Parts: sequence; C-alpha cells; structure tokens
Amino acid sequence: MKKSSIFGIITIAVAIAIIICTYGSASTYGTFKDADNNSGELHIIGHIDKQKEMVYDATKDANYFSFYMRDTIGNERKVIYTGTKPEDFDRTDKIVLVGQMNKGAFHASHILMKCPSKYTQDKLDVKADTKKASI
Amino acid sequence: MTIDYQGEHLLPGHLGQFFIVLAFGSALFSTISYYFATTNTNKLDTSWLYMGRIGYFLNSISVIGIGACLFYIIYSNLFEYHYAWEHSSRTLPVYYIISSFWEGQEGSFWLWGFWQAVLGNILIWRAKSWEKPVLTVIALSQTLLASMLLGVEIFGSRIGSSPFILLRQAMDAPIFSRPEYLSYVKDGNGLNPLLQNYWMVIHPPTLFLGFASMIVPFAYAVAGLWQKRYKEWVQPAISYALFAVMVLGTGVIMGSLWAYESLNFGGYWAWDPVENAALIPWLTLIGAVHVMIVYKNTGHAYFTATFLTLISFVLVLYASFLTRSGILGETSVHAFTDLGMFWHLVVDVVIFAIIAATLLIIRFKELPISKKEEDTYSREFWMFVGSVFLALSCLQLVVVTSIPVWNAMFKTSIAPPSNPVTLYNVFQAGFAVVVTLLTGITQFLKYKKTDITRFFISTVLYLVFAAIITGVIVYLTGVYKLKFVFILVMLGAIYSILVNGKVLADAFKGKIKLAGSAVAHIGFGLIMVGALISAGTSNVVSQNTSGLDYGADFDKANNSRENLMLYKNVPIKMGDYTVTYVGDSISAPNHYFKVDYKLLDGNGNIKEEFILKPNSQYNNKMGLVSSPDTKHYLFHDLYTHISMAPLNVMQAGMDLGHDQETNDDANYNAPIAHDMKVGDTIQYRDGYIIMEKLNKDAHVQNIPITGNDVAVGADLKVVSHGITYQAEPVYMVKNGSVFDFARKIDDAGLKLRLTKIIPEQNKFEIMVYDQPEGKRPYIVMRAINFPFINFLWSGTVIMIIGFLLSIFRRNKELKTV
Repeated sequence: MKKSSIFGIITIAVAIAIIICTYGSASTYGTFKDADNNSGELHIIGHIDKQKEMVYDATKDANYFSFYMRDTIGNERKVIYTGTKPEDFDRTDKIVLVGQMNKGAFHASHILMKCPSKYTQDKLDVKADTKKASI
Repeated sequence: MTIDYQGEHLLPGHLGQFFIVLAFGSALFSTISYYFATTNTNKLDTSWLYMGRIGYFLNSISVIGIGACLFYIIYSNLFEYHYAWEHSSRTLPVYYIISSFWEGQEGSFWLWGFWQAVLGNILIWRAKSWEKPVLTVIALSQTLLASMLLGVEIFGSRIGSSPFILLRQAMDAPIFSRPEYLSYVKDGNGLNPLLQNYWMVIHPPTLFLGFASMIVPFAYAVAGLWQKRYKEWVQPAISYALFAVMVLGTGVIMGSLWAYESLNFGGYWAWDPVENAALIPWLTLIGAVHVMIVYKNTGHAYFTATFLTLISFVLVLYASFLTRSGILGETSVHAFTDLGMFWHLVVDVVIFAIIAATLLIIRFKELPISKKEEDTYSREFWMFVGSVFLALSCLQLVVVTSIPVWNAMFKTSIAPPSNPVTLYNVFQAGFAVVVTLLTGITQFLKYKKTDITRFFISTVLYLVFAAIITGVIVYLTGVYKLKFVFILVMLGAIYSILVNGKVLADAFKGKIKLAGSAVAHIGFGLIMVGALISAGTSNVVSQNTSGLDYGADFDKANNSRENLMLYKNVPIKMGDYTVTYVGDSISAPNHYFKVDYKLLDGNGNIKEEFILKPNSQYNNKMGLVSSPDTKHYLFHDLYTHISMAPLNVMQAGMDLGHDQETNDDANYNAPIAHDMKVGDTIQYRDGYIIMEKLNKDAHVQNIPITGNDVAVGADLKVVSHGITYQAEPVYMVKNGSVFDFARKIDDAGLKLRLTKIIPEQNKFEIMVYDQPEGKRPYIVMRAINFPFINFLWSGTVIMIIGFLLSIFRRNKELKTV
C-alpha cells in the first residue's frame, strides 16, 4: 500500500472523527420540560418574565442572581445564575440559557444575550423625540 | 404626496450613491474587458486590456469617492443619513469617527473594496503577463463587493445595502411626516463604547487588508488553471500568500488585544464564531503557503497547494457570509444582523466556489501531479502532512462554527456544544501538537532525501532536550494540572522553538536566507507557549473561596464565585493583595472606579502599591458598558474589571462636590447620640471618632454672623479602616433660633451633627448617622491573573518579522515574467 494512501486514510479518519465528535458534543435546544426529565446540559430559549422578581443584591451575595424565564412553549421556571447580573440584562428580552435543572430551579452556566445596540429596533429614540416635539 | 424637507444635505448622499453605481458598473466593465483580453487570441490587440484597466481605475476612483462622501457625512454630523445617525454622534472625537466609519456592515464592505482596489492597482503595475487573468478575477470580486453597497430595488427585492440611505428612508416614524423633522434629530446614537478603543481604529483596516489580500493567491491559482500555466502561478503567488497570512494574522491578534483591553469576558480569545471566521481562512492559507513551497522545490503536492489556495478565499467569503448574514443567530453575541443580504452573500460564496471547482475538475487530468511518491525521510512529505493537519484543524472550526448553517440546511435543531471553549481547546491543541512538532522535525529533513541516521540522532536529541525544558516549565507554571494534550502542545512548541533557534543560529553563520521561516516558527512557538500558560493557568484572584482551582478546561467564567464586592474605602484581602475601592473619577462619558492594590510583606509594610481604573460607560443604546484595566508586569498581567456597580454610585459620582442640605436621614441607620468633651473618643462600627477641639469661630458659607449670633463647630477626626477624615459639624444660634449644620463623609458612610451644647458639663452632643451597608457606595469586581501573557504578544511580533523576512526572500527569488 502506498504511503500517501495510508496518509489519506488517516486524514479521512480524523475528518470523520471531527464530525462525530461535533455531533456527540453538540447540545440540544429544549424546553424547561425537557430539562426536568434530563440531567444533561441544555440550551433553552425564552423570554425574561419581568413581572416576577429578579434578585441580585451584591451586598448580600455578589455571585447570586435569580430571575424567572418563560420558554418558547410557555413553561416558566426560576433561573439561578452564579455570578453578577449581566450589565444589559434589563434591556434584554429574549435570552438563551445553557445549564441544567436542579431541585426545581434551572441553574444556568451561561446566559447568552443579544447585544442590544445591534438587535433593538432603532425606532424608539426617534419616537421619544416625536413626543417632545408635539408638546 | 411629497414633503419638502428642511435642512437636509442631499448632495453628499446623491454623489456617494452615484459613486456606488459607478463603482459597480466600472468593475463589471473591467471584469468583462479583462475576460476578453485574456481569451483574445490576437496578441497584438490590446484594446480589451486598456478597457479593463480604465474600468479598474474608474472603479478605484469611485471607491475613494464613496469613502470621501461617507466620511464627509459622518464628520459633518449629517444625521439625516441613517449611517451617521446610527454609528456616530457629535461628541465623538475624530479618531473614533474613523472607527464609526467601519462599525457598520456597509463601512466594512467599503474597507474591503478599498484594499482590493489598492491591491488590484499594484497587480496592474507588477503582474506583467499575469495581469489579464488575475485582474479578471479581482475585478469580478470588486463587482460583487460593489453590489453589496448598491441598495437599489430590482424586481421587488433590494440588492445590497447602501450607506447613503436617509434616516427617513430607513425607518418608519410619524415624525418623518414633518418637513422640519431634522430639527428634532439632535444627535446620533454614537459609537458603541466597546469600540471606542484605539485598536478599533487600526484592527479593522488590518483585518480587511488581510481578507482582501487573500484573493491574490486565489486569482493566481485560477489564472494558472485557466491559462494552463500550471507550474508558473505558484511562485509569484507565494509572496502574496505570505503577505496575506501575515496581515490577516496580525489583524486577528489585534482583535484579541482589543478584546483583552475592552471586553469583560476575562481573556483574549473565546472561540466566538466571529473570531473563528477570521481564523478559518488563515489556517488553510498558511497550509497552502507550505505546500506551495514544497511544490516549488520538489514538484510534489501540486494538487494540495492548488486546492488549499483556492479553498482559502472561498472560506474568506464563507466566513463573511457566516458573520454578516445573521445565520449565526443565537450562537454569537457579536455577529452582524441580517441586512436582508442573506442570499446575496450566499451567491457570492457560490460564484467563487463554482469557479474554483469547475476549473479544478476541467483541468484535473492535465495537472502536473507527480507520479512518484515522496520519500518518507524527506522534508516535502512532512511539510505536506503538516499542511493537511492545518487544513483538518480548519475543518474542525468550520464544522462546529457552522452548526447553525447545518440546522438551516437540514432543518435540524442542534445546539452548539454547551462548553464550546473546552471542545475547541482540546481539538485545536491536538492539531497544534502535530503542527508544532512538524515545524521542528522538518528542519532536520532535507528536500528529496535525508541521511536517516543523522536525522534520528538530531531529532531525538532535541526532543529529549525539549522534554526536559518542558518538564521544568510545566512544573513551575502549573500547566501540569491541565489535560495531557496541553502538555504535549507545550512540548511541541518548545521543540519547535529550540530547533528553529538552531536553524536561526546557523542562518547567522551564513545561510541567512533561511532565517525567515525559522523566525516565524519561533514566533508561532512562543504564541503557543504564551497562550497555553496564560489561558491555561490564569487564575481568578477575586475568587471568594480560597485555594486555587485550575479547572480541567480553560473555561472557568461563571463556574465559581468569582466576583468580589468592595465597599468604598473598606480594604479587603484578595489573594496576595489588599484591595480597596478608593473613589471615582469621571471624565464623561467614562466613569472610572479607582481600585487601590497593595502588596504587603510579612511585616505589614507596603511592598508595592498601584491603582487600577476599570471603567464603565453609560450609553443610551446599550446601558452600562464596562471595560477592564490591567496592570502589566513583565511576566504576568493583573486584569481587573467591574462586574457591577449600583447606579446610585454612578449618580453619586456625577454630583460629587454638591452639598445637599436636603433631609436624607432615611439613607442612614437611626442616629446614636454621644455626649463628648474635647479630647474624647467614641467608637462606631467602622472605626472611631475623636473630638479634637472646639472652633468658636465657625463659619457656614453664605450665612453672616452678626451681634448676638453664635456659631460653634466641633472639629472631629474620623478614622475608618486606617483612613483619616476631618469633619466640622456646626451648631448655630441666629436671631434667637437654633440651627445645626450636618457634615457628611460620604466615603466613610457617615453623617455627623452637633445637636446640643451642654454648658454645665462642658459637653457637646454629637449625633452619629451611620449608613447601612446597602446604601453605601460599592463595586463588584473580578480580577484575573494572566501569567506569561507577554510570550503571546512578543511571539506575534516575532512571527510577523519572520513573515516579512520570508516575503523578502521569496521576492528576491522571483523573476516575474
């Protein structure tokens, strides 16, 4: 067998391994329901429930932040995040959580938010101006 | 109904739009002309060539015209234009106006087009016999870039996105029914505070010069296949490929420096899709450079060289599709949104992919692919292996980064790995082991045939040597606590540095022309060493729990309790340091938090003291945006950023210096009254207060003291956490009424009043108002130690020098025909 063929086979094997590993390590998008029944890490897309309480008090614990989120099919759970409340959190609506369920609360290891500068509709500012204009 | 709008400056926009259309038209004209110039069989007929050149010159002028108009609009604060309104504001200094110029997609497309225009002109001047086919390809790319800016409606769908769209065209709002709407648009949105960093002035131009120059080797490869000059294209393309790799690499590192200086994620590399997008074509082209050199020297690896060169540019376009089309959706924080150009970007990728694939297939049988096998102990074989591994590492990045693309294509809903950083680190480390070892081993091999015994002796000798050094480094820095593969990378990198160091030493003795690759390899090795130690053993100093916990992976953010709260002026022990939040300084719009670091020796003496000023900026669009501050040492960096600060601190900072006499007792705990004599000391929660003396001649500003009025001040010395403050509350009898004037020490969270004089005991009643902790100014911060990060930066500089030397060398070898 030619050396280059052997090397070609190795290359293809590594390529296949990459694809399998990617698929194997890939997480899944799910809902809180899935998280209830699943012990692994999940991605959950949802909206922050701004009506419910949001706890972050640095004077008590600088590394505890909790809030409520409603997932895409309407389940709502308390979310606990070990860390500070992200800076843009109040301006965000839709977020993606990565984490797992633990004793009825979802423990997030990451909170992914959209950078508000690029994702909010830029109509708001001018509307505020309009109001001022009409007064 | 048309409205006669007032105050709009429409000329620069119309002119700019005219230049866009002209740029598109002239580039298309140039492409067609160059195409016919290439295919024309009549060698004496140069008319097509001249038309192609005229088209290209016209395109270059138009591109400059577009830039000038857009710059004028932003610089003159013409907020009737959406681009200026969206990305700039009146307060922005000139150098950041430059950054705001390319903050948007349109500006960055322009930048790309500008560099491509420059490169095209260089090629018209230098490429000689290659000009016609090469410029055909480049003009085609220039046409597609210009089409991205067109912003015109064709068959009901908008083609491209023009930077000259007016605010009222870009948005729907009732205000635009008023002719004088512009008088209400006072200011623009301003530049994203995170981009207000000097790296953002030079990082995008460098990066886009890198992207733009990737087309040159691609164009040469296409020209070679098209014109059946299979063997000739490689040599001139090597220099351009080296240039592209050097510039793109520099641009990528500049981006990570920017991230390190202005972002809060606590590091310089996060495997974000935007970062990967720039790295992907870099990896394939660096592989291509190596196999091109192999082909030039031995005639082997022709197909790999051609394929990697072609795929690199297709990947540049694919990367730009990834970051600009909005397909990354939830997986990237930084990617651009969809400007409605999804299919336009797809078409761009597909056109160039088809050109490359078609030529490869049509010409495949004629390609000079060597029938002979490379010798196992030959440099060319192992350089080839190394290049394939670079391509595989690129494949891994592409496959994982493209998960949203797979989802869109196959209608699946796979989420990205929940811990992508670990996945990328481990995989890429695996490839890095092979690549770094090969950059060493190949130095002992010669092209064609090598003396096997000598090869093994020197390889093994250096490997043993490298293993010893690695062992020491790994032990001292704590890298041994990481996964085994990272130790292997360290071995590979050290090995590469040693062997190439030897080559460099030889180069100084005579074989000076070999210096370029040796220097570049050493630089790459140092980058690996620096990245491994600094990212692998970075430790959060502000950890609330004691003891170091080097995780098995690099991604430690938010896994543990990494944030520390500091009350103003209350020192806290953090690792080896004693840190104190000592105050604020405001230079609008930035709010700097002064954090004092003290390093004490065993006897409590200060060994070292410095102040870091991480800052936060309040931005209308984005809320609070924070940037870190870093203390740089030669062998490590101490990085500090604000995770959170209560807004009242920000506001308190804003009215610093205003004495407010309003009743704010609610902000304090119930007061405690103390009867004191001069010289008495009282304790309070955070320290003690001494009544030093009585000032019988106290003054309260603006209040004149006349006749029977009495004003008495108590000179109080307050010592809180080792810091001394002075305060003088005043007791006053004026026109028979009693007043008292409280004094506040905000930094100590105290308010003091002199409320009563008890003459019979010669005592005074001092009321002490103590602020409850929650109301006192505080910050929450995170501090990270990055050891040996300077290896990373210095490695980069060394690698760039290596590339430069190589470019000079290859240019000397080059006799362009």
